[in-house]
Amino acid sequence: MKKDIYIFNGGKLVRKDNTLLFESVEGKKYIPVNNVESIYIFGEVDINKSLLEFLCTNEIVLHFYNYYEYYIGSFYPRECLNSGFVTLRQSEFYIDYNKRLFIAKQFIDGSVKNIIQVLRYYNSRSADLSQEIEEILQMLDSLSSQETIEQAMAIEGNIREKYYKCFNKIINDKAFTFTSRTKRPPKDKINSLISFGNSMLYTIVLSQIYQTNLDPRIGYLHTTNNRRFSLNLDLAEIFKPIIVDRTIFSVINKKIITAKDFNKDLGGIILKDEGRMKFVKEFNDKLETTIKHPSLENKVSYKRLIRLEAYKLQKHITEGEVYEPFIARW
Amino acid sequence: MEVNGTLIWYYNICKREVWLMSRNIVPDQHNENIDLGKFLHENSFSRKKKEISFGSVKFDVILDTKDKLVIGETKKSSKYEAASKWQMMFYLKTLKDAGINAEGVMLYPEEKRRDEVLLDDTSIQTLNNMILDINSIIEKEEPPKAEKCKYCKNCGYLEYCYA
Repeated sequence: MKKDIYIFNGGKLVRKDNTLLFESVEGKKYIPVNNVESIYIFGEVDINKSLLEFLCTNEIVLHFYNYYEYYIGSFYPRECLNSGFVTLRQSEFYIDYNKRLFIAKQFIDGSVKNIIQVLRYYNSRSADLSQEIEEILQMLDSLSSQETIEQAMAIEGNIREKYYKCFNKIINDKAFTFTSRTKRPPKDKINSLISFGNSMLYTIVLSQIYQTNLDPRIGYLHTTNNRRFSLNLDLAEIFKPIIVDRTIFSVINKKIITAKDFNKDLGGIILKDEGRMKFVKEFNDKLETTIKHPSLENKVSYKRLIRLEAYKLQKHITEGEVYEPFIARW
Repeated sequence: MEVNGTLIWYYNICKREVWLMSRNIVPDQHNENIDLGKFLHENSFSRKKKEISFGSVKFDVILDTKDKLVIGETKKSSKYEAASKWQMMFYLKTLKDAGINAEGVMLYPEEKRRDEVLLDDTSIQTLNNMILDINSIIEKEEPPKAEKCKYCKNCGYLEYCYA
């Protein structure tokens, strides 16, 4: 499977003959273009049009991150997989409120069930979370009877609030106490990790959607379809607990990232370069971890699971195969 | 939608694929088999004229024009022999409908093998039935359900179908 490339240093990324070359003060590094799925740029990197054209031909998505605001945007090459039929169906499922509501609820349902799986895991290990699990299960019960997406989202919001409070029982480092969810800028270290992890996941999902016939601009749960992309935010909900949150717990509990990896800046707390590199490494290892898939004979990575999720959604809207979100089983 | 050689090929492998292709829902482009197929197509017979369009058909090479017209179609392996043969038959029939009598050769460069294909009345009849059936598949609102067969394992739609 193709790899994601992460660039943290400053330098120049260019097309060199028929492949990619990254030049920095540390020297030249060739990146075989056939092996690249997406590129994530964190450093100050110069690029030019010839590079963008080359990435376009090779169907590679480029994601940009900056120091303060994290995710800036993506170079999303023109769609390589066009199907007017799928686009029309995707719109139809958005415009028909009941069809849209069903998909939106499935996303929330999947997200909450994966939250419960994560909590159950830590409940069986060190933390006593049985009370919280019970309460979340009860809140989830009322999801199916909700008649609007806003109501469903409100339930999800309440569940997430309860879930985030559990972080204090799961994480064994006092420097990472969670008080409340804060964004733009995150006000403490744990919020900083959540924001960074989530924004990484959004771009990973976007890259996977690019490989399907789905249009990332049409989402179902996130109402703001005026923004550039929203379907990636929807699909990311399902994977946040099992990919982002689990990575956060492991980098903190294994002391891979400590209080020293953060800077206080412009009223917010942000990861230093080195901390960011450490997080991305753990995050990427998580994405490449393989699991046994129930209906495919091969083992699949978490990253592949995201693609499969997009396929399932596509089949829901084109073949009437009811979309069931992926639920982790451990 | 006009039936073309590719659809005839898919029809003889997987009917679901016919429907998906007709909606431009293409297989995973980074599947290694698809990559290899593209490479072979681009790099075989580079000295001969290739990709000749005639009406709705597009075949790979013209091999001989001295005594008779012989057209060739390159394939990665003979694993899909029957499907490939029907694709070639379809080309020959299209040419015949236009008043050109031609013969066909299936080329398997990796196996250094070539099979000759001739068109007869029975195969014309079979082709006509295939074309009717392809049209009825395409007209349906939904594709035929996925059915596991020996071709699934190396198919670029595998993950799409069984996700």
